Amino acid sequence: MFLSAGELSAILPLLIPAFGACMLPLASLDKDQATVKWIRGAMFLMALFSLGGGFLYTARLWASGAQPAFGALHMDRLAQFSAIFTFVAAALAVLQLWDHLHQEGWVKGETLSLLLFSATGMIVFVAAKNLILLFLGLELLSIPLYALTATVRTRSQAYEGGMKYFITGAVAASCFLMGSVLLYGVTGTLDLATIGQFLGAARPDPLALAGAALVLGGFLFKMSAVPFHQWTPDVYEAAPHPVTAFMSVATKAAAVLALMRFLGAGVSGPGSLRIQSALAVAAVLTLVLGNLAALAQENIKRMLAYSSISHAGYILLGLVAGTPEAHAGVIFYLTAYLFMNMGAFGLLSSFGLVGDRTTFDDVKGLGWKRPDHAILATLCMFSLAGIPPLAGFYGKYMIFKELIVQGHIGMAVTGVLASLVSVYYYLRLPVALFLEKRSEKAERDDAERPAFKARMAGAALIVCGVLVVVLGLFPGSLYKGLAKRVAVDAFQAVR
Amino acid sequence: MITPWMNSHLLTFLVFAPFVCGAILLLFPQRQAALAKLLAVMGATAVLAVAAIKLFRLPAGENGVLYLERAYWFTAVGVPVEYHLALDGLNFWLVILTVFLVPLTMLGTWNSLSNRAGTAFALFLMLETGMLGALVAQDLLLFYLFWEAMLLPMYFLIGVWGGSERKYAATKFMLFTLAGSLLWLVALLYTAGAAGSFSPEVMAQAATRMPVKVQNLLFVAFALAFAIKVPLFPLHTWLPDAHTEAPTAGSVILAGVLLKLGSYGFLRFAIPIFPGAAAHYAGHLAALSTVAIVYGALVAMMQTDIKKLVAYSSVSHMGFVMLGIASMTVVGTQGAMLQMLNHGVSTGALFLLVGMIYDRAHTRRIADFGGVALRMPVFTTFFLIVTLSSIGLPLTNGFAGEFLILNGTWLSGFGWGRTAACFATLGVLLSAAYMLWMFKRVFWGPENPDPESGTHHLNEDLTPREIAVMLPLVALIFWMGIHPQTFLGHSEKQVARALQQAQAPEGRPAAFDSEVK
Repeated sequence: MFLSAGELSAILPLLIPAFGACMLPLASLDKDQATVKWIRGAMFLMALFSLGGGFLYTARLWASGAQPAFGALHMDRLAQFSAIFTFVAAALAVLQLWDHLHQEGWVKGETLSLLLFSATGMIVFVAAKNLILLFLGLELLSIPLYALTATVRTRSQAYEGGMKYFITGAVAASCFLMGSVLLYGVTGTLDLATIGQFLGAARPDPLALAGAALVLGGFLFKMSAVPFHQWTPDVYEAAPHPVTAFMSVATKAAAVLALMRFLGAGVSGPGSLRIQSALAVAAVLTLVLGNLAALAQENIKRMLAYSSISHAGYILLGLVAGTPEAHAGVIFYLTAYLFMNMGAFGLLSSFGLVGDRTTFDDVKGLGWKRPDHAILATLCMFSLAGIPPLAGFYGKYMIFKELIVQGHIGMAVTGVLASLVSVYYYLRLPVALFLEKRSEKAERDDAERPAFKARMAGAALIVCGVLVVVLGLFPGSLYKGLAKRVAVDAFQAVR
Repeated sequence: MITPWMNSHLLTFLVFAPFVCGAILLLFPQRQAALAKLLAVMGATAVLAVAAIKLFRLPAGENGVLYLERAYWFTAVGVPVEYHLALDGLNFWLVILTVFLVPLTMLGTWNSLSNRAGTAFALFLMLETGMLGALVAQDLLLFYLFWEAMLLPMYFLIGVWGGSERKYAATKFMLFTLAGSLLWLVALLYTAGAAGSFSPEVMAQAATRMPVKVQNLLFVAFALAFAIKVPLFPLHTWLPDAHTEAPTAGSVILAGVLLKLGSYGFLRFAIPIFPGAAAHYAGHLAALSTVAIVYGALVAMMQTDIKKLVAYSSVSHMGFVMLGIASMTVVGTQGAMLQMLNHGVSTGALFLLVGMIYDRAHTRRIADFGGVALRMPVFTTFFLIVTLSSIGLPLTNGFAGEFLILNGTWLSGFGWGRTAACFATLGVLLSAAYMLWMFKRVFWGPENPDPESGTHHLNEDLTPREIAVMLPLVALIFWMGIHPQTFLGHSEKQVARALQQAQAPEGRPAAFDSEVK
């Protein structure tokens, strides 16, 4: 009728989760959802089902090698990777949400709907080749996240966090919009590739540079890179654990991939140097500040928030190196980060640590109670610290290798020293889990609380932990099959 | 079906069998600890048996390589990584030492761990995988992976089963080692990026094309990582803490094998890849080694805790190993090879003995003991033999190694050779002083009159199990002292090859290296 088959296949990865997101509120209209378990179960199944459908469809698209487009929306390898990535992250988050929301006593279908909308927004954000669509994606991914942060309304911090995120996010989005306006005003086009060529010139219009800086700020905000990181710890602490995990992984990935497209869209020549040095400054600041601030945290979620900031630094280093190999390294890094960070947050859900009970004191000695979960989460922590032979190491390895080959040895040394610092705070979790004894007061409190099985969150944690190890032992297949193809194809498509 | 597979993947089997065994044992519940311990010892013994049956029969192939496994693993960012394991003269005896020490240590500390002993033994087996893997890995990235993978089990062994300061000691151990190895990683990636490969031979060729300054810098980065592991003065401060806090078994393996990987790294990678830089820095290495020998001995003399004393004696003994390597002569390096084995056996045995007396007395303070010889004659006999071997009495293993090292240093032709040898000899004297003084205070003299002291808890001598653990170690001590050639024959050609590129300084007798064996 109106849509050709190619156009339809370009937007189906968006339509499937969006359809699920629209249907979910209907299911949750039932006022009995808080009491009847099967309705809750059906809602979660629906969410998983639409995520699974989107995943399968995108995976088939990937396997067929097609890179369809719908107007300015290009479902190329980069966008397909982003879709697959987001679906996996969202599915893991949904599994953890089942247990976490039950522990909090606040199970609402709207949460899932918001999550799916946000996932849709992320894919739009990465698939956009045009400023308007890019902004649309940004808003579609952000606004549900503001609400998700404040999901558990019974907690007072939830409001505070949600409001904080909303206000800072709105400022960042308006900066992004202002930047887009400037870019459009100067260049007269909305197309990213044309704007990229314009920025690549030796002496672009200062107004366009200001626009580019504002847009870059928007990306860095979503990535939670210094100096746009201030919101991260508060918001991460306020949001439900699985939502935090989803935010830290998927939002960061969407921002990185979209930035990759923005930079890759022909920003080459003398102009690229300018953007690269801006990124380099941000990367080094992010690494230093994120890692040092994480040292001082007593709350695991805040520690993970600062760790998430520092990981933005490593990823930015990869973008600074800028070669296709480095981009493949970044994509590998993101994939590893997906599983290791999801695993780290999964521990909180699978141990049933709700509310504010997320300090290192709260997990003291818990490791011996659920050794399987604790060991896998510990592996995730070591992987975050970049200790081989776990997946996290290879991401760093690839990025550092390209940095060194490109001659940025000082930055590589900074990165290495930063990850040395990070070992100290990542070690605190295994120390608390295994090396410390549970205090008597905590033992008494445990006895009073009903025992929690947390099967779904546990399953998600096990999947993450096992994948962290498997990717560590066989990094070649992921690199060759996924990361390299994304990097190479994405660049060919643009240039 | 299994035998042909094993014959073609012998090293893979040796490296990963302990890991698989340990991973299975981790799943055992706590109440099955006794069974888990038994299975762990059986697993480690099986690995030892396979190694003993298979490895000694291997014929020497090209370049002295006894056994080789080489397969492509993966390529990332343009540099292929190989799964390349090899057994040759450099690592043959260290591999044997490792597979030999692990079951022995398990038996020796059978009752030392009160809680979750099964998990500890499982971690031990995983540690064995890391150590064996690092010893046989030829590809540098593979080596790096095993090198780092060793950290995790050791971290938990110290951190969970250690003494009162265990958290501090474990974290310090981890951070010190990582500090070295992360900077080394940068150097490694730089060299690999230039060479397009992680193979040491290709990297060595690429290194010759680099400016001398860069080569020196890269060598320093390599050396730093290895020197922390050895540990070389002044990077040794993690060692006394780690040794004192670690459970007995952890100390034995730490001293017995882990430290050797540092000096082995010099011989296997740092010197062959950057021979020029190695010769350039040989004097610095020798100076630090000599300081380590004397300083370690002096500090050991002042210790009040037996285990800490042994830990500082390790610093001193590993100083000898590094001095032998720094001499850049075949004799000195052969001595270093032998000294690595000596130190593994003697210090391992010392830690085991200290653990045995600690299990009975629950104290390690020298002042708490006295007259132990009367209460535990068999224990005293063993302790005396091991003490004498640690001092380096002729006919025990310590003598042969130290003699070769001093010989090599004296004749190295470097300007500092004779001075260093003199100071190192002083270290031998000091080692006699601190060991015998400690022995006198603990074992001889009147019993400590305080009824709360350590001596009064010593009601039984060694059990048959403990004697069975000590006997093979004592046998080795004498064997290595009387016929060191058994342990040197394998490594000679390999050592010569490793040193080939390192320029001998002017004035070294030309025929020296080939003459002295």
